[in-house]
Amino acid sequence: MAHRGGERDFQTSARRMGTSLLFQLSVHERELDLVFLDHSYAKPWSAHPDASSARPTRMLFVTPRRQHESSIESDVPIDVETVTSTPVPLYDNQKARSVMNECERHVIFARTDADAPPPPEDWEEHVNRTGWTMAQNKLFNKILKALQSDRLARLANEGACNEPVLRRVAVDKCARRVRQALASVSWDTKLIQWLHTTLVETLSLPMLAAYLDALQTLKGKIPTLIDRMLVSSNTKTGAAGAEALSLLLKRPWDPAVGVLSHNKPSKLPGSPLILIASSGPSSSVFPTSRRHRFWQSQLSCLGKVIPVATHLLNNGSGVGVLQCLEHMIGAVRSKVLEIHSHFPHKPIILIGWNTGALVACHVSVMEYVTAVVCLGFPLLTVDGPRGDVDDPLLDMKTPVLFVIGQNSLQCHPEAMEDFREKIRAENSLVVVGGADDNLRISKAKKKSEGLTQSMVDRCIQDEIVDFLTGVLTRADGHMGSEPRDQDAEKKKKPRDVARRDLAFEVPERGSRPASPAAKLPASPSGSEDLSSVSSSPTSSPKTKVTTVTSAQKCSQIGSSQLLKRHMQRTEAVLTHKQAQATGGKPVTVTLGQASAGARESTGLLTSTKSGAPEGVISGSPAPSVVSSSSAPSALHTLQSRLVATPPGNSLPGAPSASSLLQGLSFSLQDISSKTSGLPANPAPGPAPQATSVKLPTPMQSLGAITTGTSTIVRTIPVATTLSSLGATPGGKPTAIHQLLTNGGLAKLASSLPGLAQISNQASGLKVPTTITLTLRGQPSRITTLSPMGSGTAPSEEPTSQVLPSSSQRLPPAP
Amino acid sequence: MAAEESGDAKAQAALSSAGPSKEMPQKPNYALKFTLVGHTEAVSSVKFSPNGEWLASSSADKLVKIWGVYDGQCEKTLYGHNLEISDVAWSSDSSRLVSASDDKTLKIWDVTSGKCLKTLKGHSNYVFCCNFNPPSNLIISGSFDESVKIWEVKTGKCLKTLSAHSDPVSAVHFNCSGSLIVSGSYDGLCRIWDAASGQCLKTLVEDDNPPVSFVKFSPNGKYILTATLDNTLKLWDYSRGRCLKTYTGHKNEKYCVFASFSVTGGKWIVCGSEDNLVYIWNLQTKEIVQKLQGHTDVVIAAACHPTENIIASAALENDKTIKLWMSNC
Repeated sequence: MAHRGGERDFQTSARRMGTSLLFQLSVHERELDLVFLDHSYAKPWSAHPDASSARPTRMLFVTPRRQHESSIESDVPIDVETVTSTPVPLYDNQKARSVMNECERHVIFARTDADAPPPPEDWEEHVNRTGWTMAQNKLFNKILKALQSDRLARLANEGACNEPVLRRVAVDKCARRVRQALASVSWDTKLIQWLHTTLVETLSLPMLAAYLDALQTLKGKIPTLIDRMLVSSNTKTGAAGAEALSLLLKRPWDPAVGVLSHNKPSKLPGSPLILIASSGPSSSVFPTSRRHRFWQSQLSCLGKVIPVATHLLNNGSGVGVLQCLEHMIGAVRSKVLEIHSHFPHKPIILIGWNTGALVACHVSVMEYVTAVVCLGFPLLTVDGPRGDVDDPLLDMKTPVLFVIGQNSLQCHPEAMEDFREKIRAENSLVVVGGADDNLRISKAKKKSEGLTQSMVDRCIQDEIVDFLTGVLTRADGHMGSEPRDQDAEKKKKPRDVARRDLAFEVPERGSRPASPAAKLPASPSGSEDLSSVSSSPTSSPKTKVTTVTSAQKCSQIGSSQLLKRHMQRTEAVLTHKQAQATGGKPVTVTLGQASAGARESTGLLTSTKSGAPEGVISGSPAPSVVSSSSAPSALHTLQSRLVATPPGNSLPGAPSASSLLQGLSFSLQDISSKTSGLPANPAPGPAPQATSVKLPTPMQSLGAITTGTSTIVRTIPVATTLSSLGATPGGKPTAIHQLLTNGGLAKLASSLPGLAQISNQASGLKVPTTITLTLRGQPSRITTLSPMGSGTAPSEEPTSQVLPSSSQRLPPAP
Repeated sequence: MAAEESGDAKAQAALSSAGPSKEMPQKPNYALKFTLVGHTEAVSSVKFSPNGEWLASSSADKLVKIWGVYDGQCEKTLYGHNLEISDVAWSSDSSRLVSASDDKTLKIWDVTSGKCLKTLKGHSNYVFCCNFNPPSNLIISGSFDESVKIWEVKTGKCLKTLSAHSDPVSAVHFNCSGSLIVSGSYDGLCRIWDAASGQCLKTLVEDDNPPVSFVKFSPNGKYILTATLDNTLKLWDYSRGRCLKTYTGHKNEKYCVFASFSVTGGKWIVCGSEDNLVYIWNLQTKEIVQKLQGHTDVVIAAACHPTENIIASAALENDKTIKLWMSNC
């Protein structure tokens, strides 16, 4: 196994040293390379003696433990003068400073009365508080305090060499405090609108700029709530002011914007297909996190990305954890098989986050893939670390890269080394200093090292590229050369799809039926739309459909059988519910199943003998409380949908209601992603009824799938429409999630917000309404241009706008 | 109103302008250049302006005076405080002064016009010490109300109050980058704060807990010089929380006497003393290398010129004068 020593490694490092500023950071690596420079035959000094397949660990941003001299001799001269030169920031400082002051420059947009003189510096004394209620006073003071601290941080950091990063950290902090304050009044619409107007009218310009910075940051996280807050002022300022303000608030600025967009990562050799295994069944309760979506778009710079989402059929009711897992693995597996059959020479790379990483590993044991990348590997389970003698993961033969956070709860660098010793597959490990399970670095780390998450992410990506390039170039020998024509295909296809959907959607928007479920069957083109959806594997329906069809086709014993059985059962459960109309009863039934299944699945994934009692205990009781409260409304929607579905419609084997829903969600997304100039094309392109029909033209469909960002954007909101699944799923994914990720306690925390959200929804906020609202604002956002480089996160931004994030109705993160 | 001193002082001044010698001098040879007479009460503080042209002094006569360093003439007198002034500090561009007074306020002054620009109100007791941060957009003040306050220069608003200590705060100082604040107090603690967030990062404390009368960062911000009312000066490596050097020999048990790093020639520590002398130590060897005699009362303040080998010293009410000393190394 060729180590990264030798010629290639030296070349890559030299290339990166020249091109990537970020490379400066990884001092450790350079030391290694210098040794190789002179002694290319040598084993790396950090090579593990017992594990020939484990490459030396690479450290990113891990601060070396300082060697403390035991004592300082008194005669060592003390230098009180020389200032240690501060390292040059790794980003384009000038550009960073310019984006940093965006809000200050454009602060005037926010003013409702631009002609009035700005409030004086001693504005505080002029604030007329007469007639304010206690709540108003309290809220105002809280915000004021947050802004004052922010002001202090700004002034104190002024002129610092890494001022943009420090400012970013300070603004994030201020935004958090503002959010806390607003959450303390439960985002009471009247109150927050009053607050916004008052602040805009009274704050001095520098303070107002700080306030806008905070809004800008929050807008990225909780767009709908912020929009609601701004509504009143927008009506006052008029369209121009509102437009300008929304432009300004469009997305939070990032200090590293210049560097990252200038040094774009290049495509991987051999044009591999990157399959992203999801880390759980998709549902509205756990929409794909922004971070995962962001990474999805980042990875699309390297090659074609195909996210494999797992959808629980029939909204997941009655699915045990074991089945769900089987389902997840099966989905990825059948996707791999499908790609193999269509593109026998395409290298496939599996990438997964956390549980998704595990799924990817397991699939790689069963099917041939070129490489596996595990981001945030959940090594530790309730029964100790993985890697027992009977762990199937030990049989992996696929080259695998583990990227873990130094402070990860589910993983530990030392335990990881032990694990790597036991794997036979060639494997690499990257430890990201000060990062958590999701490879996010802490605030302190950002401050002390002048980093931003985007820079860290890019470095991780560089590591991934480095690893994959090595694997791919070695495997290149027997690769075909078909990528060319396919790229051409890719360019044509997505436009086509978009246009067709647009054409379908335009009349729909005019009427805008109250319930999305109601409108679908009414339209004669409903089935068309549906099939166009299913022809695109990026969107979730396709994934699911392919799962089913190819599973049947290839007659994989395990998962397909399981799937079928499961489908029948879920349908049964559903009809049962339908008959019952409402009630908490079925919920408990399925919950019981879930926890039972959970026990099995832990066995499966952790390869441990006994179950995971802790996980089950913590998992099941909490959901049951919440889901029962949310059951009625969710059940209603479910019901109405089932009734509305025309019988006999749709895809073989797939339950009609859910697929229809997905189709609907897809079309909704298309409204949002349409560009204004596109002509409406009433004639839809070829729209076969089911995937099996579509199979003869696989190239096309693949091209449509994997067009990087835009397609990805579209996939995401699927989860949203599925939110009607409220009833049981409320409990279900929680349990699954917990057990899969194994850190029972750690995950419990993350599952709670989702639960809280369900109950919130039940109490009046209907999901479809939210969607329409956000969509209305969409076109203007598309036409606006951003002063910031748009290279960093092109897809993250729009999705965050479209998707009513689950956390926005919740109190802020602590 | 400066009295010119004898001829040899002049000769030494001429020598000093020739520049410091290459190898480290063993001893300085400071000699009296000017005696600045003008204050009618005890002088409390003297500071050189960062551009080296001016010397500001504060006094119990409620006045701040600005003197020309090279001619010893009083250029300006700033009127405004109602009570004694304890401290005065320059902004980095030498255009502003801030003064801390027993009238519980601080005042920001424009040097060229001599006008008070802002009065910072908020302390509930005597304000005892003050300083600008390097960008001079913030002012920090310590008070007998046991708090440290951070003020915005532009608006004169208090942005943060650090409930820092349990006794009067005797000294506050920013490091050279402006990221840290050090505060010393009679409660015996010396605390280091993050300027941006106001969080306490570190506390230096000694076993016998003598009152801290003065603290200051070294010019590069790596060390802290502290004075305690047990006749001791200490140089700390604060990142490790350990004392590296101790300077003794002078007398300091009662007053908050200013100390200073002298880095223009040899590397010295300069400090006033209650035995009416100015003491100069070798920073590395801790030996006393010179004592400056001339004041007739406690030398409360000693300051070093930013670029030349000039020391300014000031004494309490029996003396009321400021003396400028020069050396050629």
